[in-house]
Amino acid sequence: MSAAARPQLRPPSPAADRGAPSLPPRPSRTGPTVAAVIAGVIVVLATIELDISWTSLGEIPGRVANYLVLLFAEPNWEKLPRALFETWRSVSMAWLGAIGCVALSIPLGILAARGVGPAWVRLPLRWLFAIIRAVPEVVIALVLLTVTGLTPFTGALALGIAGIGTQGKWVYETVESVQEGASEAVRAAGGSTAEVARWALWPAAAPSLMSFALYRFEINIRTSAVLGLIGAGGIGTMLSNYTNYREWDTVGMLLIVVVVITMLIDLISGSIRRRIMEGARPRVVDRTR
Amino acid sequence: MTASDPITAAAGDLAPAASGAITLRDVTVTYPGGTRALRGVSLSIAPGEMVSVVGLSGSGKSTLIRTINALVPITSGRLLVGEQDVSRLSGRSLRELRGRIGMIFQGFNLAERTSVLSNVLVGRFAHSPAWRSLLGLPSAQDKQIAIEALDSVGILDRAWSRAGALSGGQKQRVAIARALSQQPSVMLADEPVASLDPPTAHSVMQDLLRINEERGLTVLVNLHLMDLARQYTTRMIGLRDGEMVFDGPAADATDQDFEAIYGRPIQGRDVLGSAP
Repeated sequence: MSAAARPQLRPPSPAADRGAPSLPPRPSRTGPTVAAVIAGVIVVLATIELDISWTSLGEIPGRVANYLVLLFAEPNWEKLPRALFETWRSVSMAWLGAIGCVALSIPLGILAARGVGPAWVRLPLRWLFAIIRAVPEVVIALVLLTVTGLTPFTGALALGIAGIGTQGKWVYETVESVQEGASEAVRAAGGSTAEVARWALWPAAAPSLMSFALYRFEINIRTSAVLGLIGAGGIGTMLSNYTNYREWDTVGMLLIVVVVITMLIDLISGSIRRRIMEGARPRVVDRTR
Repeated sequence: MTASDPITAAAGDLAPAASGAITLRDVTVTYPGGTRALRGVSLSIAPGEMVSVVGLSGSGKSTLIRTINALVPITSGRLLVGEQDVSRLSGRSLRELRGRIGMIFQGFNLAERTSVLSNVLVGRFAHSPAWRSLLGLPSAQDKQIAIEALDSVGILDRAWSRAGALSGGQKQRVAIARALSQQPSVMLADEPVASLDPPTAHSVMQDLLRINEERGLTVLVNLHLMDLARQYTTRMIGLRDGEMVFDGPAADATDQDFEAIYGRPIQGRDVLGSAP
């Protein structure tokens, strides 16, 4: 109400008295410049201790070309059935890991969301997610190997645990971004926190969470190949073995299989995710506004 | 849905709360940031009154209406709904009180991706065991109450639609049905028509009036439009900067009264117009 009384613009007369307007003096840029120089020096210094033989850099393209010929000139398709079977094991590992990860991270993530769980539940959960995020899957798998031995199940377990860190964070961020209106209505009707989570937060967050679950599967497909390298089984183990045998034509075939299968699954999963998210958008435009 | 139905009868110890009387004594609300939203508001509302709360945005009317079901806790003073001291309730007893107070909102506040029926069943949460609501297995009786509530606002045929697919007016009717299925004794409405076009706004106000007259509910409705307050409510409370500056019959409120509440001259946007 006082806005009308307050002058909105400076009156033009003082400017006329001061003559043509001029820029205020430019703020000093010494600080940022010094900081940039220091950062640059650190970047350069950081490479010194690496003992890089710069001269061999020139030989790399030739070597790469050499290996490319070894790998892909005549891929050996003899072991394809075996490769497909191992791929299947890798995919199963990824799928099992994704299910475990999602099944754990959705309830834990919802509890970790602001406004759902109390602080003494929320904060420890967030720390747990952060700690898991800081540990690479391979490290978790190596630790698990000592307990459960060299099986694809170990890989699935490692993927399931390692994924919780990121997946849990995605869940609580999604739940926190849900509009508060429906939650307020459920609370106003006498609903408990669990009822708010089930009937206000879950319906709004479910499409995103489903999409994230599929995305976890896609990520796991790639990671499962890496876990195979340390012996968790599947296509990664086969790849690692044939590299050790130096049977490059078989390695070439395996690489083709890995890339094609991964891209195929990405494609299918991606299109399902797109459908989920499109379906989530309101189909009828609200014409009242 | 009369007082003799089993749900109300089963309330037993809640009988005092079932009365729709609301009493505020020197109620103050200060938000954590230090904003004083309500300053020493005292008023008493009899069961079955149709009351509008009028004021500009930021005058504290949203806060006032949310103190009554403790969505906003009061900082000092005393607030009674029926004979229950709202600020002393927590946990289960608070949820039971809220179960007796229906509320509708400017933004409708529906779960847009679930069915209309599921949204209305939210009104039964405080009156049924948790496992039923969490598993989505309402009792036949709760379902019947929800169906009757939907029927009473005339959108039973949309029961299986996604709430998000409805128009604004339909959404607000679903929200009213949700509140009615609580079988409340008090109905709170926070700017219920501010997101609606004028004809829809009038029909929603008529629904509220009908609820008040037919069911004897105490209705407390926030409005910023003068003509709606005059036309649909019997008593008007004016808030300005968190203080109560008017309390009287809505029909008798003059333009000068409104100017005092708003703290500025009347403008065109203060009326909705086009009564049906």
